[in-house]
Amino acid sequence: MTSAEFVLRARQLVKDYRRGRAVDGVDLEIRPGERVGLLGPNGAGKTTTLLMCLGVVRPNGGSVEVLGHPMPRGRYAAMEQVGFVAGYLPLPERMKVEEYLVMFARLYGLRNPKAAAQRGLDRFGVAHLSRAMGTELSSGQKTLIGVVKASLHRPRLMVLDEPTASLDPEVALRVRTGLRELSETDGTALLVTSHNMVEVERLCDRVVFLSAGRVVADGRADEIAQQFGRDDLEGVFLHLAQVRDASRDASPLATEAS
Amino acid sequence: MTELTYTGAPASFWRIAAVATRHAYVLKRSPHRLFDVVMWPVVDTMLFGSIGVFASRSTHGAAQVPLYLLAGIVLWHVVYQAQIALSTAFLEETWSRNLLNLFTTPTREWEYMAGVALFGLVKLVVGVGAVALIAWTVYAFKITSLGFGLLPVVLLLMAIGMAISLFVIGLVLRFGSGAEALAWGILFGIMPISGVFYPVSALPWVIRPLARILPTTHAFVVGQTLARGEPMPWGELGIAVGSTAALVVLAFGYAAWMLRVFRERGFVTRYS
Repeated sequence: MTSAEFVLRARQLVKDYRRGRAVDGVDLEIRPGERVGLLGPNGAGKTTTLLMCLGVVRPNGGSVEVLGHPMPRGRYAAMEQVGFVAGYLPLPERMKVEEYLVMFARLYGLRNPKAAAQRGLDRFGVAHLSRAMGTELSSGQKTLIGVVKASLHRPRLMVLDEPTASLDPEVALRVRTGLRELSETDGTALLVTSHNMVEVERLCDRVVFLSAGRVVADGRADEIAQQFGRDDLEGVFLHLAQVRDASRDASPLATEAS
Repeated sequence: MTELTYTGAPASFWRIAAVATRHAYVLKRSPHRLFDVVMWPVVDTMLFGSIGVFASRSTHGAAQVPLYLLAGIVLWHVVYQAQIALSTAFLEETWSRNLLNLFTTPTREWEYMAGVALFGLVKLVVGVGAVALIAWTVYAFKITSLGFGLLPVVLLLMAIGMAISLFVIGLVLRFGSGAEALAWGILFGIMPISGVFYPVSALPWVIRPLARILPTTHAFVVGQTLARGEPMPWGELGIAVGSTAALVVLAFGYAAWMLRVFRERGFVTRYS
């Protein structure tokens, strides 16, 4: 398979911070229209991996290609076809929703930013929020607007970091439904991190599990659960978290501290 | 991409416009920020103008004092407004945790800086306009009396202000929010040794060599010479141009270096 057949191809990614190695030889490939969940306990290296894939953080080793563009050098060209949304990022305080969306539509290079903003608001059922200030929105509404922002330019790859964190089930369902529709109608590939295993099982075709900066499983949700001898992804997640905690307790630092 | 998107120069134009418009919304909805743009400049002009008038009335041979002070304060606010406009616009992105959103668009760093500088120019015109108006109406000092020679001085001072803001941005990228106090404080370390309100000969002798390597010093010498009605000191202008160019190159180099460190160490997560 050639690199053009992948929207994202990461090879042997390594990232070292002063506190230690955060990502340790991660391989990740995503095909057009594929929906991939990137899971793992806190500190597994999920966000660092995403940021390296987006060209925001420079890896110490390995390579990333997004839509055939080598990162981070090809970041500008790649980002014309990539959307990013993080549930933890707020909206700027002093802008109305429509102004915010029009600004990003222009940053993406769209010729008709207002129409793109309106289309996005309609798609996610939040057109009534267009005149609201960012500070007036609930956390669920902010996330929906973040998703609208990231999909304005109909990206071929959308990267979502904890998109439904702190959302109630109804809003989370709306986000999930909108994302599934976006993926099916526009052929947008999704790369999603989440701590909500049920959500990932419902949205994603494939799951990649990270633990201590390494890929420990890659496949369909049911296959991975079977591989680890668990009933579902939550069981796998809890198992990996316990393994991580046990290895921390056994480390020389932990022994000294105790 | 599709026919529905701009590419090349038109895409850059609209990105620059989008960044400038974003900061126009911020100013429009944050009236307290007009203190930086108008209020402090007006207060400074009243303060230094009145000191100048008082000095000229009470001391023989002090007729030039108000001239130095008023020309100094008007021109100083060119540096100040250029620096503060760029620095605070970048800080706004850190306060609103918008950096990661911006980094994940096709926006080039130069397009972002150009957008911020474009809106900063508007703030500069308003701020320096307020200072010049007060100096003219209250103290009968017309900055335009410096003639066309004023133009290169203003351009140099704008470039210096923007270059200093690149150092501030670089420091914030490297050291995080703790470095943001420099956005307001850094110029107050430079002002006393730049001969803004007095000739460099009035400084203690140990500081004079340091003053002479600053581009601000030479730009102010040019401004003060013109304010006295003397012809353009071309040699001094040449030194000002050369030292400003060196400062701008250093500032871009430093900001680019810090941006590289920012990416290598993953500091973007500080603002997410």
